[in-house]
Amino acid sequence: MILRLLAVAAAALALAGPAAACAHPRTSLAYLEGQVMCPICHTTLDQSDSAAARQIEAYIAQRIAQCASARQIEAELVANYGPAILAAPPRKGFDLLAWWLPIAGVLAGAALLALGVWRWSRRREPEPVELAEPGLDEETERRLDELLARYD
Amino acid sequence: MTRQLKLSVQLLALACVAGLLALLVWQLSHQQHAPRVGSLAPAFTLRRLGGRGEVSLASYRGHPVVLNFWASWCVPCKSEAAVLERDWTRYRRRGVVFLGIDYHDLAEDARRFVSAHALTFPMLEDGSGRVTGSYGISQVPETYVLDRRGRIVAHLAGPITAGPFAAEFDRALAEAAAA
Repeated sequence: MILRLLAVAAAALALAGPAAACAHPRTSLAYLEGQVMCPICHTTLDQSDSAAARQIEAYIAQRIAQCASARQIEAELVANYGPAILAAPPRKGFDLLAWWLPIAGVLAGAALLALGVWRWSRRREPEPVELAEPGLDEETERRLDELLARYD
Repeated sequence: MTRQLKLSVQLLALACVAGLLALLVWQLSHQQHAPRVGSLAPAFTLRRLGGRGEVSLASYRGHPVVLNFWASWCVPCKSEAAVLERDWTRYRRRGVVFLGIDYHDLAEDARRFVSAHALTFPMLEDGSGRVTGSYGISQVPETYVLDRRGRIVAHLAGPITAGPFAAEFDRALAEAAAA
């Protein structure tokens, strides 16, 4: 790790001249280290300590010092190493699936979960109790009619 | 939920699981392994380092070929560079072709490496590692020696300067050149 930091620092020092020409860097090494893969260890640069990763880090530091943007640097790396050098797949063509499938999966899961919860909650609702109409027997009904007739 | 809908959801879940299994099987069956000694070397066409045209392995059929996979960031590659150059100058008169294949490397650094070590045999670039993958390269340097028919005579998974590899490389080179 110390060696790696020294190598990057040495690269940055070596580029002190060009760096002076760029007063406002457009991206940072820390950001790109998370966006670019180490081609031989298949982890992002910030997770790798290999010689290949250190070489790419030195290149990125050099290009940042020359005021290159993250997009420019990524494009240059893709031209050299191919699209697999980027940690995230491109957002076009077949690679779009890699972006949309997880979202579709989460949405489908949420919908299924909601459906399950809804069904479960309905099953647990108490069944409405049908109250039997209090019917009057014939005798009571007759007496009630007689009583009401007195007030007519 | 109706019975039909329930069945459809179950079928969909089964189809998803079957799809994932198929993907796993495909991945396992398409894993790249190093070609065996005695088998035909995988064909390729690669750009010359520096972009001056392309080179195809097939164009060297009839010549023994040494394929050396390297990268400028690889420390052992530096130690074997001088040996490769020496053997190249020694064997080229006997029709042996040396091809250096630079992989997962920055072209500018690779050119500096070639210049610093005064390497004169053809250098090709495999930035994406596609060809390197077809040779099952897992580390650099690695070297293949092919005979005149394109069959693999030797595969050295390490620097040719290292003890056992040095003798094997000399033997394979002599065998390929004599055949």
